[in-house]
Amino acid sequence: MAGFLSSVRRRLNLNQPTAGDGDPVVEALRAALDPSRVRYDGAERTLLSHDASIFDGGVAGPVCYPLTTAEVQSVMRIAEKHTRNIVPRGAGTGLAGGAIPLGAPIVVAVTRMNNIIEVDVDNRIAWVEPGVVNLDLTRHLMPLGFHFAPDPSSQQVCTIGGNVANNSGGPHCLAYGVTNAHVLAIEVVLPSGEVAMLGGLDAEPAGLDLRGVFIGSEGTLGIATKVAVRITPNAPAVKTMLLSFDTVRNAAHTVSAIIAAGIVPAALEVMDQRITQAVETYVGAGYPTDAGAVLLAEVDGLAESIEIDANRIAEIGREQGAIEVRFAADETERALLWKGRKTAFGAVAQIAPDYYLHDTVVPRSRLADVLDEVSAIAERHDLIVMNVFHAGDGNLHPLLVFDKREPGVIERVHAAGDEILTASLNAGGVLSGEHGVGVEKQKFMDLFFTDDDLAHQNRLRQAFDPGCRTNPGKVIPSGHSCADIAALKRVPREVWA
Amino acid sequence: MDLKLDADDLNTCVQCGLCLPHCPTFRVTGDETMSPRGRIQLMREVQDNDAPVTSEVVDAFATCVQCRGCEPACPSNVPFGHLMEQTRETLVDNGHMTPKWQQLALKPLAHPKLLKAGTAALAVANKSGLLPKRLGLPDELPVRQKPLVASGDDVWLFTGCVMDAWQREVHAATKRVLEAAGFGVQPTNDLAPCCGALQSHAGMGNDARNLAAKAISALADAPVLVNSAGCGAAMKDYGHMLGTDSAAAFSKRVFDISEFLAEHVDSLPAVEPLDLRVAVQDPCHLRHVQRVHTATRTVLEPFVRELVELDDDGLCCGAGGAYSVLQPELAGQIRDRKVGAIERATPDVVASANPGCSMHLAQAGVETVHPMTLVDRALNG
Ligand SMILES: Cc1cc2nc3c(=O)[nH]c(=O)nc-3n(C[C@H](O)[C@H](O)[C@H](O)COP(=O)(O)OP(=O)(O)OC[C@H]3O[C@@H](n4cnc5c(N)ncnc54)[C@H](O)[C@@H]3O)c2cc1C
Ligand code: SF4
Ligand code: SF4
Repeated sequence: MAGFLSSVRRRLNLNQPTAGDGDPVVEALRAALDPSRVRYDGAERTLLSHDASIFDGGVAGPVCYPLTTAEVQSVMRIAEKHTRNIVPRGAGTGLAGGAIPLGAPIVVAVTRMNNIIEVDVDNRIAWVEPGVVNLDLTRHLMPLGFHFAPDPSSQQVCTIGGNVANNSGGPHCLAYGVTNAHVLAIEVVLPSGEVAMLGGLDAEPAGLDLRGVFIGSEGTLGIATKVAVRITPNAPAVKTMLLSFDTVRNAAHTVSAIIAAGIVPAALEVMDQRITQAVETYVGAGYPTDAGAVLLAEVDGLAESIEIDANRIAEIGREQGAIEVRFAADETERALLWKGRKTAFGAVAQIAPDYYLHDTVVPRSRLADVLDEVSAIAERHDLIVMNVFHAGDGNLHPLLVFDKREPGVIERVHAAGDEILTASLNAGGVLSGEHGVGVEKQKFMDLFFTDDDLAHQNRLRQAFDPGCRTNPGKVIPSGHSCADIAALKRVPREVWA
Repeated sequence: MDLKLDADDLNTCVQCGLCLPHCPTFRVTGDETMSPRGRIQLMREVQDNDAPVTSEVVDAFATCVQCRGCEPACPSNVPFGHLMEQTRETLVDNGHMTPKWQQLALKPLAHPKLLKAGTAALAVANKSGLLPKRLGLPDELPVRQKPLVASGDDVWLFTGCVMDAWQREVHAATKRVLEAAGFGVQPTNDLAPCCGALQSHAGMGNDARNLAAKAISALADAPVLVNSAGCGAAMKDYGHMLGTDSAAAFSKRVFDISEFLAEHVDSLPAVEPLDLRVAVQDPCHLRHVQRVHTATRTVLEPFVRELVELDDDGLCCGAGGAYSVLQPELAGQIRDRKVGAIERATPDVVASANPGCSMHLAQAGVETVHPMTLVDRALNG
């Protein structure tokens, strides 16, 4: 009977917060939101110390799940009153460590602010809350003849807020542009708790483009609570084709030649043999597993014009040594091919349990050389590298795969990563294609920007966040940051994280 | 604590998060502790880093519906179902979850007489309105009923425990459909009283393994046809569960009823289709575990006017065996999403091949019938 009673008591206690009682910040948050939407237990705090990257820093402090702009304002005010830092979080699929806590900040997860508020088909605008999942929005718009164009490979899970904060791209951004081109206005709760509307629905909003400043700011300027996105009409016709090659080099040359021929395909994606094999095991889409590389190309538009473009792409591919050119027969085949491409990062565990994914952009003409260099670097460090990339933009994603249980391997992975970045910068590339800087690429900011640049970036940031409390320690490197990053990292981990 | 999880299985998760939107509990809470990625990370924390098994950790595992929607979504093929079953078994053995009274509640399932007596008692109590609505019992529980009689020995029709007690008319319909396709049917009745799925999900591994062994020895030779998706999935897993050749051979003989009939639709007489727009609601263990859900459409298609798909990617309805009773709040929120998807599809009726799903949906006022009931109705009026 005692067992029965205690189990009933335990059941009644479920979801009843207990951890954090007596902590003034936690109690203030619980008074402001519903207590069930503020968690402070070890399980929650440990899990929210990670995102999809391999980085870790501190541990989540109290974790809040606000539902409204007003609740986000309350959280910000409480944070200000108690001088606590805050970290915004979406689905936690970031690959640069943008959503991981440094120190023990309040984590504000916007996953429950997930309403599509309004779709205005006439003006091609949708107002959404930041926790709306990218693909959910597109699915909602499809029957109306529209979609949201930025389509990161993680689109089935990542949030619009995360897309805005990281200015995310995706395979189809080659023709349509990245997130920045698809956001008109953002409602932001500033670190002071005030609400600001950045940008506007007019074609040319007056004044400085603060909207543009916020996009890509990786959660360091405030929390987006509503976003007005541009919705894109669905193309009347689409053609998807798969070209296979003996080498990645030939695939890369084909990409350059296609763009040089003045064709702007909707997407141009390359995968090397290892990744193609892993993907094929999962989706069974008929990817050739014996080819050295595959190029997935898509053209969309009017039926007549895409016919011409597709044939031209096939021709260029054959000139560059394509061993096979295949057209997707129907929507099912097309969907399967894309499913393969979009789950590529996840499929790598078939080879090794951990991966470190890089994200650099190099001039298209240097693609093939940089790829060769990347494999040489991996070989020197005795690591396996796999390549899957948005070839059309020159956006490389070399994946180093490893098993972190192997002693010393993490050090090798980081050393190889540094060399890969340096090699791309030397080839005239930029730091981040689409995954952001986060904690990952901070130390390279110095290589890419002058002291002056960084000082200005920090001043701009402080105009939004004078106390340096939103997502401190990210993006801007130590010497230039208003946050004392070393001190943040010294905060002891008081839970079992 | 050593959860006894296979280290390699646990390590295949790369924390990419692609499974998150396919998890019903993450969908309604947005909370990482209620996601597959989070649950796997907690398994690692407990097994590898010796994290304490706090009530929140137990809760993260107890709130999993075990729908396995995360499995087909995972490009790394993480065997989530097996990880979760093993985790629960270890936690039950150590007294962390499934308290004794819940274990006792599952015991009668293995004993047909007890279950029948219990059902009769429940039926009376239910009729007199003594039972809380959230138990989700069918309105008309049978007080007494006759067992099905064999018509041949071409195939076994697995009748199971709760379903046989509460929804025997579905078995009768299934039997008539099989007979119409020319098969002599042998109902398993008391020969194999229960598949062991609920016990296995609750972490009562020994009870489950005993029931598996019993079914394997009792049901020889012929194909074993199952019209409850949860039971079928469990019986197809006997090979893994017992790790013996005979269990693996038995599992190969187990078929979902639609999976089997899809190969024999041509043997069914051509009749006037029912004038109904039918939405197919795939039970998770048919779609995500057995992965044979397309067969339901093949079988239904000739017998109804119109089939419609739901637009929710096969997200769970929240029934989950005993889940809707143990986690009523989450189960209700998950069901609300499903009901929304059903409303958008505007069907006359919903077809679902799992007794748990249909009872759970019926509670929200959604008319749900077994696909075999529809085929039988078309064939026999
Ligand atoms: C398998 C896989 C594939 C991927 N493919 C791509 C790809 O093709 N292209 C691409 O660009 N990226 C890709 N990514 C990276 C990632 O998915 C994107 O960066 C995505 O936009 C992050 O969204 P999220 O909701 O997960 O944000 P999170 O990871 O939770 O957060 C990312 C950053 O945004 C901030 N943030 C989140 N919400 C808000 C808000 N409401 N207000 C202010 N700041 C906020 C956080 O503080 C953090 O700095 C991929 C990731 C994975 C795991
Ligand atoms: S279970 Fe699979 S899909 Fe989910 S996070 Fe792990 S690897 Fe990714
Ligand atoms: S089995 Fe279902 S409820 Fe459990 S983690 Fe997987 S998707 Fe979520």
